Amino acid sequence: MHNNVIDRSKDFTLLELLDRVLTKGVVLRGDIVISVADIDLVYLGVKLLLSSVETMERLKSGKPIIV
Amino acid sequence: MINDLIYVYCIVNSLPELDHNMKSKGLKFLIFDDFYVIVKYVSENEFSEENFKKNLSDLQWVESNAREHIRVISEMMDCCTVIPFNFGTIYTSEASLKKFVSDYYASLIENFHHIKGKEEWSVKIYCDRKALSEQIDELSEEAAALEKQIMASSPGKAFLLKIKKTGLIENEIIRLHKNYGQKYYDEFKNLSESTSLNNLLPKEFTGREDTMILNATFLVNKNKVADFISTVETCRKKDGNSGCFIEATGPWPPFSFISIKEKQ
Repeated sequence: MHNNVIDRSKDFTLLELLDRVLTKGVVLRGDIVISVADIDLVYLGVKLLLSSVETMERLKSGKPIIV
Repeated sequence: MINDLIYVYCIVNSLPELDHNMKSKGLKFLIFDDFYVIVKYVSENEFSEENFKKNLSDLQWVESNAREHIRVISEMMDCCTVIPFNFGTIYTSEASLKKFVSDYYASLIENFHHIKGKEEWSVKIYCDRKALSEQIDELSEEAAALEKQIMASSPGKAFLLKIKKTGLIENEIIRLHKNYGQKYYDEFKNLSESTSLNNLLPKEFTGREDTMILNATFLVNKNKVADFISTVETCRKKDGNSGCFIEATGPWPPFSFISIKEKQ
């Protein structure tokens, strides 16, 4: 069996992860859910984080799984 | 504080196996109709509407919880077909979760049918402008023809033609990006049951120097996954020198291929 994401989920970039879990799957069906405005805020946070050189280097070294 | 909010990870349609590790993390399943909903009881301290919103501004909190979210769902994929929920879906009572399941019963059945025996794979392709522009005379007939003209021209005319060529290269790179993106998309689409195209992300998000030319997700039948991976490898070998970089990740839970419709 090929590698599953769980074994190496640490290797996924935060962006790749958020791209899926924030806006896809079964959305907007709970009693409490993240609003679109909140999602935008999370992305803004990611953008600010990425603009720091140090973080950029860290993320670059945390390469996503490559088959 | 009492943990009385219900955090939902996913729904499965066969009896899930929760190992000791998962149980010790507080994971359990609730049975509604023909479905098993994988949940964890969480505290208002973290997940009440107000506190949850506050926590979303803490990227470290978001990252660790988002990773946990995907980890739990991925583990469930080992034993079951899963319908993943998006991160941070909270129900305030079992009754309200039960109502969701029965309200959307038909749609859930339909979705399970659609994703059964399939995996989600993500393909992102990046292209290095510099590598392309260095090879532009080999990749573009127009550029090659113009280069020939430059070589045969007087210095003055050659100077003007070189300016023209700079503009041409820009357009040709855009055209080549589109062509490559389409070519790869078609190739992977042939091996997939469904596809989903995502926005091309700017460099400030990817943290890469090269340009993203394809951001797509594919729903691949499990018996085609080996072909899918070997196609990634073949493309990588074939096109490695042309400045294209292929990044394939998976198997992901089928986040991109779930569509829960309102009850008719």
